[in-house]
Amino acid sequence: MSSITARSPAVDPTGPLAPAVRGRRRTELLMLVFALGLVAFAFANVGYSLKGRLPSPMAEYLGVFAGLVLVAHLAVRRFAPFADPLLLPLAALLNGLGVAMTYRLAAQGNLLSVRMSPSATGIQLVYTAVGIGCLVAVLIVIREPRMLQRYTYTLGAIGLALIAVPALLPASISEVPGTGAKVQIRLSSFTVQPEEFAKLALAVSFAGYLVAKRDVLALAGRRVLGIDLPRARDLGPIVAIWVASLLLLVFESDVGTSALFMGLFVAMLYIATSRTSWLLLGFVMFVAGAFAASKAFSHVGERFDIWLHPFAGQNPSHNAYQLVQGLYGMASGGLLGKGLGGGQPYITPLVQSDLVFTAFGEELGLAGLMAILLVYGLIVQRGLRSAMSVKDPFSKLLAGGLSFMLALQVFVIVGGVSRLIPLTGITTPFLSQGGSSLAASWILIALLVRASDTARRPPPRPIQEEGVTQVVTLP
Amino acid sequence: MNRALRRISIAVLVMFVLLLVNINYLQGFQAASLAAKPNNARAFEAQFAHQRGSIVTSDGVTIAESKPSSDVYKYLRSYTHGPEYAPVTGYDTLYSQTGVEAAENSLLAGNSSALTVRNVIDLLTGKQRKGADVTVTISSAAQNAAYSALAAGGKPGGVVALDPRTGAILALASYPSYDPNVLATHNGDQLIAADEALLRDPAQPLLNRAIVETSPPGSTFKIVTSAAYLTQNPSANTQTSVDSPAQLMLPQTTHVLTNNDGEACGNGGGQAPLITAFAQSCDTTFGKLGMDLGGQVLNAMAAKFGMNNPGLTIPLGVAKSNYVIPPSQALTAFSAIGQYNDTVTPLQEAMFAAAIANNGTLMKPFLVQQVTASDLSTVQTTSPQVLSQPVSPSAAQAIGQMMLAVVQQPDGTAAQFNAQAEGGLQIAGKTGTAQNGINNTGLDDAAFTAFAPYGNPSIAVGVIIRGGGYGAVAAAPIAVQVIKAYLAYLAHQGKQ
Repeated sequence: MSSITARSPAVDPTGPLAPAVRGRRRTELLMLVFALGLVAFAFANVGYSLKGRLPSPMAEYLGVFAGLVLVAHLAVRRFAPFADPLLLPLAALLNGLGVAMTYRLAAQGNLLSVRMSPSATGIQLVYTAVGIGCLVAVLIVIREPRMLQRYTYTLGAIGLALIAVPALLPASISEVPGTGAKVQIRLSSFTVQPEEFAKLALAVSFAGYLVAKRDVLALAGRRVLGIDLPRARDLGPIVAIWVASLLLLVFESDVGTSALFMGLFVAMLYIATSRTSWLLLGFVMFVAGAFAASKAFSHVGERFDIWLHPFAGQNPSHNAYQLVQGLYGMASGGLLGKGLGGGQPYITPLVQSDLVFTAFGEELGLAGLMAILLVYGLIVQRGLRSAMSVKDPFSKLLAGGLSFMLALQVFVIVGGVSRLIPLTGITTPFLSQGGSSLAASWILIALLVRASDTARRPPPRPIQEEGVTQVVTLP
Repeated sequence: MNRALRRISIAVLVMFVLLLVNINYLQGFQAASLAAKPNNARAFEAQFAHQRGSIVTSDGVTIAESKPSSDVYKYLRSYTHGPEYAPVTGYDTLYSQTGVEAAENSLLAGNSSALTVRNVIDLLTGKQRKGADVTVTISSAAQNAAYSALAAGGKPGGVVALDPRTGAILALASYPSYDPNVLATHNGDQLIAADEALLRDPAQPLLNRAIVETSPPGSTFKIVTSAAYLTQNPSANTQTSVDSPAQLMLPQTTHVLTNNDGEACGNGGGQAPLITAFAQSCDTTFGKLGMDLGGQVLNAMAAKFGMNNPGLTIPLGVAKSNYVIPPSQALTAFSAIGQYNDTVTPLQEAMFAAAIANNGTLMKPFLVQQVTASDLSTVQTTSPQVLSQPVSPSAAQAIGQMMLAVVQQPDGTAAQFNAQAEGGLQIAGKTGTAQNGINNTGLDDAAFTAFAPYGNPSIAVGVIIRGGGYGAVAAAPIAVQVIKAYLAYLAHQGKQ
């Protein structure tokens, strides 16, 4: 194995490029061990805090998790040997902390508003296995990001269909209990949140579409107030996405995902065309649309009222209860937190999914939250760095778009629970309990790993040292 | 495209910086105000997670402590001698506190900023956090005597004893009282039932009569009138002859003011030495003095004795004792003998005597002596503070002599407590019997203010008994018992 990974057969170690092409897989392994250590510490902390001893199933949980992470590492070694060495360890750390928090919340699962059974930890590990399976599958199937460019319209159609399906299904199947948001498909006890996958499909689709059309979209139209507006005839796509995101807002009550789609499209449009006017236009359109929706539809307006006046009147005990309890939780954590297992996160409704960040805030404190945010920030930074160094425009756009989408998702949910922006129910990548989000997050990481591998892979070795025509080996 | 990507990176950086700043603000700066929100269940339960500090008297009797409990919370508040000390401790329930429990809540609970460093050290050393102990100035001997005497009398009223030299409150009793233990329950339904029963009780057991209820001071106010007279007329002394008619015509009315027994004071000649008029509590004399002095002067002197002060705290809030400037001469005469709209708390009664006992300097009354953290280090100590100087030392000496005459002269209103009767103890005091109710049909309120021993005062007492009748009969015996109990305690201390 090591002979394949440490030295790719495509590379001549004696060649002039040899020093620049180290795969950094040992670094990745070392960082993974570090991440596993932190996760083990988190489990031990929960056990000592709640029961005064190590959790009895800790060895099994950690063993399974370490095995899964090792599989991911080996897959990266085999299929993406030049990938960024930090992406996998950072994602594994977040995933592991999420499993530890699931264990911690399930230990007092009967106190939660939506109860958790003790088997939730095992289920979350199964979801982790599914997520890492997705990672491996993506690395095996997609050997080059630009392979996806072929499926621009197919994936666009799939993405839109995935979004539309829950809105068309009856509420008994698609509504998340207690939230009014129609974003899932329930099949007996098993639920899927199709939007988690839709956003990936749409990111790929946007990348393909924008690469093809970017020259046209970059053309300037009228100049107003020193800003070159796009030509009116090119407004079609952005208006279509805008309408789709507003429909999502109105029919699925899903402000967060709506903002996510619109933000993703506008950011990718900007990356593709470098025209600031698209950014302004998109931002103005979304804010105006959201404002109009908040006036026209009470459930959207209520979100703004909760955000602006959570402590006013009956709000703290009624519709702002969840937000307020989350804030109380984070406030009680203070600078250093109550320690995992030491707080009362179970008071906050839906703390295992939408508000899991507040549970970390309560038990790990400000210090822990800053560390978690920096881990997200590092993933985004590594992704954007890969986007900058990768050569082909589609991969660039895809990696940039996916990185921005992760950042935006973290911003929307973390900003929401900490009352920076209105709270909207979307998952916290890797930390929330649930399979769809975890699998989608791992696919996103897989695509970034793939892009970074492409970006860092050394140029193919020339077969002839001289001559006009060069024959290259395709990967 | 890289230029756009770089800009996107900057946008992402800004987004993360916003999140970091916001959580820093939330968890660093807003945490305290969020913890103080009324519906914060976490903060609510946190108060039961740690052992609350005890409340202890100055002589070491624990009057409130948290004992380990096996129900929903780890500790249950327990009050030994509950009803006796209820006006001091107040109560600590699931939802609210009163008394010292409320005034020193953050220190007792252990979340005061003054304890932050100690709490962090406890956290690092793995020691269980515990709230700070509060030592009150109460002497258990004085408090016990006060409450027992009130209970034996069976009439509603309040007693306050002060150390005149410092302002330390030695006793703070109210009757009828309640048992705070019934409110300390962790069972919300029981708590509400007990609370409603206490609120419905016509005897008003929750009312802290020692510092919250005000009643007319009656003749005890003659201390203030005398102080104003002696201050306005520096040449006057206790032997100065003052008008002492059998009847005082009230200007612009058809009413006449007479003395209690209808006779003239002194030798009946219409003039009497000030000390005689004071000892016999002549209403005509002091009514006349008051009219001559005027409402403004009386008001200024009353304020110097601590009346008309809505902001007095010990640190418990004290109801304002009132002197209202009368609109007419006739009413000024009544106000000068502690009627009209004059009302005082038992604490104010004690402050009258305390100011005279301390050479005319009134010390600020205080109830909390010291706060001690769980590591036995002192968090805060109260040092005595001067509240005001109502009268000069010479005027204070004169009024002291007059108060002595009230008890020691054979014709004084409280002569039954003279040194002979009390085993050589010289008590100085002033009785008050205040008419009450519509057209004075209610039972008279009994008041008494006193200090002792006369030569070297170490205690000043104020007593008001609602509907008690004569001050000398209903109020003075209680004050005397408190004085004797406290002096016996001091003598016992001195021997050790």
